[in-house]
Amino acid sequence: MILTGSQIKKELLSGEIFIEPSNLEQINPNSYNYRIGHKIKTFSEIVDNKPVFKEIEIPEHGYVLEPGQMYLANTLEVIGSKKYAMSLIGKSSIGRLGLFLQVSANLGHTNSKHKWTLELVASKKIRIYKNIIIGQVSFWKNSGEITDYTGFFGSKNNIQESNI
Amino acid sequence: MILTGKEILKQYKNSNIDLNPFNEECLTTNSYDITLGDKLISYTEDILDPKKENSFIEIEIPDGGMILEKGSFYLGSSREIIGSDKFVPIIHAKSGIARLGLFIHVTADLIDIGSHGNVTFQLYATLPVKIYKGMKLAQVSFWSPEGDIDLYSGKYQGSEGPQPSKSHKDY
Repeated sequence: MILTGSQIKKELLSGEIFIEPSNLEQINPNSYNYRIGHKIKTFSEIVDNKPVFKEIEIPEHGYVLEPGQMYLANTLEVIGSKKYAMSLIGKSSIGRLGLFLQVSANLGHTNSKHKWTLELVASKKIRIYKNIIIGQVSFWKNSGEITDYTGFFGSKNNIQESNI
Repeated sequence: MILTGKEILKQYKNSNIDLNPFNEECLTTNSYDITLGDKLISYTEDILDPKKENSFIEIEIPDGGMILEKGSFYLGSSREIIGSDKFVPIIHAKSGIARLGLFIHVTADLIDIGSHGNVTFQLYATLPVKIYKGMKLAQVSFWSPEGDIDLYSGKYQGSEGPQPSKSHKDY
């Protein structure tokens, strides 16, 4: 089952959902609006068969994303829960501008807690700004016993490149 | 929990799910098929900017269909009015459409509980693909919520046809 906004608020206040910094005004009927952080990683070249990303600070006047490129960024907030699974997607207002916030992997595991890495793909040229509300995360009730999360990214807050 | 097709029918008949026009043949095992409306929106800005109102044109899909070029982005809408005050709708492409490389939403598949209107599709073609008005393009599934329900009353409520981004109202 997906949590309603009032249930997200209840669990945020009880500590079962962790969002820092949090603002109750960012709660929707069944999700919470997150912000993009202030940095972006842009692909620059392939070295030794591995992509090299350059990290830049998003300027005050914004940064223009080019179509056909993939950029990495992260959420401003640390988001996690020991009780619920999460799904992290974009706002519909951002999707309506053709910007992907994640490339197919929206599932956030129970027991993970960190700033989420965003995978930005623009279908049209778009200017993005730092710290703006850009996406939403929903919380889902589990069925069954919860195992400890042992993945790579669980405690990392900087923008994570692929570890494959 | 996700509703089965039979439960969607039951909840439609109980008026807990809004699907208008309704056609029982559009029910699947876990979803309801939705069709493409007559109009598309195409932005005319060189650079889209979420902090401002972006200019766009409306296009009527011709009777013979319309080819979306590879890499092109349009907004379309469902013919159906979709919504629920009891369940959370999530939209997905029909798998037959996804296999043609056509995204029907870009990142945002989740619909707020209490939102009623035509769903705006975010069409992104990864291959040249022809679309027709009235075609079955997408499907909507319904999910049980946990907790007290506060209904949506946001800026896209009651949408008719494709709606461009109103993100500038957020910033």
